[in-house]
Amino acid sequence: MTAPTASDLDIWDDQLLIDPYPAYAKLREQGGVVHLPKNHLYVITRYDAIREVLGDPATFSSTTLGFNPMVNDALQGTSLASDPPTHTQLRATLSENLTPRALRGLKVVIDQKADKLVAELVATGSFEAIDSLARAFPLEIVADLIGFNGHVKGNMLRWGQAAMQVIGPMNQRTQESFPIAGELYGWCSSVTAQDLTPGSIGRGIFDAEARGDIPQGSAGHIIHQYLGAGVDTTIASIGNIVALFGRHPEQLERLRAKPELVPAAFAEVLRYWAPIHIWGRTTTVPVELDGVTIPAGAQLGLLIGAGNRDPRHYENPDTFDITRNPVDHLSFGYGPHGCAGQGLAKLEAHAIIDALARRVQSLELGREVREASNITRSHERLQVLKVVAA
Amino acid sequence: MRIHLDRPRCEGHGLCEEAAPTLMHLDDDGELLIDAPDVDGADLDAAQAAVRVCPVAALRLEAA
Repeated sequence: MTAPTASDLDIWDDQLLIDPYPAYAKLREQGGVVHLPKNHLYVITRYDAIREVLGDPATFSSTTLGFNPMVNDALQGTSLASDPPTHTQLRATLSENLTPRALRGLKVVIDQKADKLVAELVATGSFEAIDSLARAFPLEIVADLIGFNGHVKGNMLRWGQAAMQVIGPMNQRTQESFPIAGELYGWCSSVTAQDLTPGSIGRGIFDAEARGDIPQGSAGHIIHQYLGAGVDTTIASIGNIVALFGRHPEQLERLRAKPELVPAAFAEVLRYWAPIHIWGRTTTVPVELDGVTIPAGAQLGLLIGAGNRDPRHYENPDTFDITRNPVDHLSFGYGPHGCAGQGLAKLEAHAIIDALARRVQSLELGREVREASNITRSHERLQVLKVVAA
Repeated sequence: MRIHLDRPRCEGHGLCEEAAPTLMHLDDDGELLIDAPDVDGADLDAAQAAVRVCPVAALRLEAA
């Protein structure tokens, strides 16, 4: 029985959160499992170990996926924080409207909206990419999907950001975000079918609840998860798309020459810069992982971005290469809790990448501003100083 | 080896079809069909790739 080695890093340190990759490399070389006493946490750093944890819900429970007791309490009864067999039904209810087959009808509309937005931005010659694209686009798509209108639409960004932030440890960011996450929770508990646009997926979920097809009270939970999970992460991804193609003009040229690389390009964006830093699990029994023993009841933090750059799994992992097609990246998680919204995320991101590939010859980036955030890693501002139309 | 599909878990993401197009496909309704469940040789490699890329771990290989 070998115990994991320890590190005195604070995984939620502001500077580390803004640029975590040097720390990830250090931790990953130290071990597949590293104890962080400052965070009362064992972090999992290597690709195979993270996949193993995600694929084994009996040993690695999701009941404490968050890093403070308040959020774990609040998430009880959701598919996110439950284990099989309870999880199975909750997940089916959540994902029914999000599977690729359910979303097929949305592709045309999403492609058109992405193309129109990108065309408008390219025509301006320079733009701030976070507010005008990375935030504007998924907010509109998710609002349409759920059937939001009125004042609720204006709250989506702050609600979505807070819902992710409060999954972190009880630091200042979490404390400041709890009241805002509470507004979202309150609204989701009181929303009714009539509040949502007829014909929307959100309205359909309430209709399903009224018919008794899904358990009473689950419609609000589902809306909550769509908003909590589908906003901040997609915003991060779209910001990363613009930033990475701006930084790597040769990759944009490759994509323009071979537009069939769009899905591979998105997989590589997700691998290279994971939208989610860290995700939690708890050991249900003492377990051997990557050669060391973790005690039962230990809080784990899966370092998604560290696994995605593990040289044991990916060649030249620190190189951004859109021809790599890393379909097994960890950014959507894996296994029974694998991201339920990945079909929608891909529709949105592929539409944006495709529009950029057709309409943009080159992007010149100005300042990239990131702010420390507990769970999601995204840009706050990203100036495109000059965009040359194709 | 035999390809086993956990049907309730399958959400039709379709990555398996890309990895092993001769062994499985999504039908017009987006339901996964295993066309050649018993695999060996080169097919086994493709089947293993399909199992590997399933984002929700709905596929596995079992001794036939």
